[in-house]
Amino acid sequence: MVRAGRRFLSSLPALFGVLVFTFLLMRVLPGDPAVFFASGPNAGKEEIEVIRKQMGLNKPVPEQLMLYLYDVGSGNLGRSMMTGQLVTKDLRERLPASLELTFTALLIALVSAVPLGVLAALRPGSVIDHGVRFFCALGVCVPTFVSGLLLIYVFYYLLGLAPDPTGRVDIFASLPPRRTGFLLVDFLLAGDFDGWWAAFRQLVLPALSMALFVVAPLARITRASMLVSLGSDFVRTARSVGLPWWRVVVTYALRNAILPVITIAGIVFSTMLGANVLVEKVFSWPGVASYALDALLSSDYAPVQGFVLLMATVFVIVNLLVDILYGIADPRVTIG
Amino acid sequence: MSVTGSRRLLSVVAFIAVSLAAGSVQAQTRSETLRYVTGASVNTLDPNIPGSTREAFAVSLSTYDRLVSFGRKQLNGKWVFDLGKITGELAESYEVSPDGLKMTFRLRKDAKFQDGTPVTAEDVKWSLDRVVTAPVLGKAQLLTGSMTSADQFKVIDPLTIEVTLPKPDKLALPNLATVYPIIINSKVAKEHATADDPWATAWLKEHTAGSGAYQIESFKPGEQVIMTRNAAWNRGTVDKSAFFKRVIVQSVPEPATRANLVERGDADLVIDLQASDVQSLEAKGKLKVISTPQYNAVTFVSMNNQIPPFDNVNVRRAVAFALPYDDMFKAALFGRGSPLFGATWADGKPSSGAYPIPQPVKLDLEKAKEYLKAAGMPDGFSTTFSFNVGQASTAEPMAALVKESLAKIGIKVDIQKLPDAQMSTQINEKKLPFFTEGIVAWLPSTDYFYRNFYTGNQRWNYSSINNPELVEIAQKARFESDAAKYEEYGIKLNAIHFSEIPQIPLWQPSQDAVMAPSVDGYTYQFHRQVDYRDLNRK
Repeated sequence: MVRAGRRFLSSLPALFGVLVFTFLLMRVLPGDPAVFFASGPNAGKEEIEVIRKQMGLNKPVPEQLMLYLYDVGSGNLGRSMMTGQLVTKDLRERLPASLELTFTALLIALVSAVPLGVLAALRPGSVIDHGVRFFCALGVCVPTFVSGLLLIYVFYYLLGLAPDPTGRVDIFASLPPRRTGFLLVDFLLAGDFDGWWAAFRQLVLPALSMALFVVAPLARITRASMLVSLGSDFVRTARSVGLPWWRVVVTYALRNAILPVITIAGIVFSTMLGANVLVEKVFSWPGVASYALDALLSSDYAPVQGFVLLMATVFVIVNLLVDILYGIADPRVTIG
Repeated sequence: MSVTGSRRLLSVVAFIAVSLAAGSVQAQTRSETLRYVTGASVNTLDPNIPGSTREAFAVSLSTYDRLVSFGRKQLNGKWVFDLGKITGELAESYEVSPDGLKMTFRLRKDAKFQDGTPVTAEDVKWSLDRVVTAPVLGKAQLLTGSMTSADQFKVIDPLTIEVTLPKPDKLALPNLATVYPIIINSKVAKEHATADDPWATAWLKEHTAGSGAYQIESFKPGEQVIMTRNAAWNRGTVDKSAFFKRVIVQSVPEPATRANLVERGDADLVIDLQASDVQSLEAKGKLKVISTPQYNAVTFVSMNNQIPPFDNVNVRRAVAFALPYDDMFKAALFGRGSPLFGATWADGKPSSGAYPIPQPVKLDLEKAKEYLKAAGMPDGFSTTFSFNVGQASTAEPMAALVKESLAKIGIKVDIQKLPDAQMSTQINEKKLPFFTEGIVAWLPSTDYFYRNFYTGNQRWNYSSINNPELVEIAQKARFESDAAKYEEYGIKLNAIHFSEIPQIPLWQPSQDAVMAPSVDGYTYQFHRQVDYRDLNRK
């Protein structure tokens, strides 16, 4: 635990670097947010100046940076012009939405990818193997917004089975008291099972379309490392002493093959969280990624900087978790 | 794990199948609720906050009252706002003095703020003072109606307020019906004012203190706003409260999803679908589609008149005769709008003094080549054509056609697609030679268009034209009260526009409002959003 803490501390300089880099990058990018936001039918020079002052852009860049760092140090990420809210508030509202979606998608992906990979590895070259390969290729080839739109078209538009794809919960339903921000958890805590069910149904389609996209890398990596571990000496020994086959596969082969899968899952998770903007857009999911994209398009500095910082932090934490999981999967590994 | 895994997979699949099959059981009786979906979002509850979106304007129209509002009229069978008819909203009656220097408003005796306190002239004064004094958007708007200082607003008695003008200005009264001059409950607002923020802009951004038809039930910036009806409100056109008990304004970024929602009847109204979706929905005939040409908006191909080669009028004329107007109109808008090209002007004179009017231009490559020769560039030149990402669905096909057609007269065009903020910055800095953009005027009148979009070194003068004669006539026209003279000025301005061709008006795109067949009363408004108070369900 102490080591984990030390590990986290050692990543702080990297976070700081990310912070400064994004800050400068945003200011180097062409596009003046003040001009963009002063676009009422009569907005002139004066309005632009007002906004510039409001965003603190009238000061020299080094001074802006110092002020920003001071603000970040005191827990203030600035204010978004786009939503008019504090960035910390926006992110706090939206991060659980993204996390809930990403966790569910990752769960679906893992639960389907690992068995698929194992099956493929058990019968390499067979119909099953080719089937899995085909499925994976399809999943990777179809961009998430296409599969998302397709799912909506079939399950919502044609069949009418899915609820309308607009956000986390039916617009007419009432929300549970906010405790964690994860709707599935909050509904359970409130004891509102109908609400839980509604929220779950909203979640299924976006999570599926995200999962489809990441099944491929997970299944392929599972298959590859399973092949290695199935061909190794200890599996042959296990087989020769007559252990039941599932025990050989699950306890010996899979446990040894799972390390690279965990690594990839960690990376996939971080990528999904930031890159699921298309899914968020298609399903009107109020997550952080679509928030950051909108901000970027309108050169709204504070949200973009806040988002990058958040992603970097999540990345650090996920890596840490992955390392800890390593230790559980393979006791020989310790966090260094 | 593989076996248990696959079993778990099976159960998950089964679970999903069951969950989806459970389907739309909870069909709510929601006829008294209006669900409006939009690709944009509401970011503030006070329309005056710099950066506020058009959706925010629409919400503020329902949450606040103004002194006066525009009436409506039928244009080609569709309801549109009527600039010529101004009716009282919070004002029971108003009076303009014969010399046009004084406007007196008598407030309704029964008007109450949403907290139950009566609306007084003090509140009106505070609210109007705020618009012209605080650093808010309304300042620039009211300037166009000669209202610039708090001294101009005077409380006569608790129910009477007087506005004085430095000179008669026909845009003064209409300005008070625009989005910005909202009447705020000054007692409540003052409680939340601080020394740094005497006009409570920070508080009003997230709270309302008005007398409008709807109260905010919940406000999630960027996601949704839910409003409930203020039953006491009686300032509607037919003197009663609004029809819908609840209005939901929800952001749905994906246009295809918005189309699905309204087609399946889950949403009641949407005004920002893609032209192709509107066309197919209209063809299916299940929904009501009301297309109104946005007659206070214009889409242009603009040329920077200060940058070579577009500083040469013959180059601009060459371009004007080399654009494939019909193809552009079809490819970009699917023909949904009213074209501003292909007119014939008798004796080469403008057909009217209105703005905009269809121009006598059409695709004529021979003529274009001649103009190019006259400009001394028979072999053409290279340039860039820019548009912003937000307009891509219409501008992209258009740009491709412009490029193709101009290549035929030797003008080589590189297409440049810019993020919205970058595009507005470059326009503001006058760096783009050749691009497409649109304009809109809340109070469309010929002089207003010419004064704002063809005058001065400012952002909205897209073509950067600097023509003293044009400026002079436009200024004169502003305060001209004789209609015949005004028309004459307008014709002169239109003639200058055509001879100079600073930019090429293309069309007025349609506002396509797609709604459930039961929704009635939709009116095209000056702010190009939906006024929820207009609507009802049959």
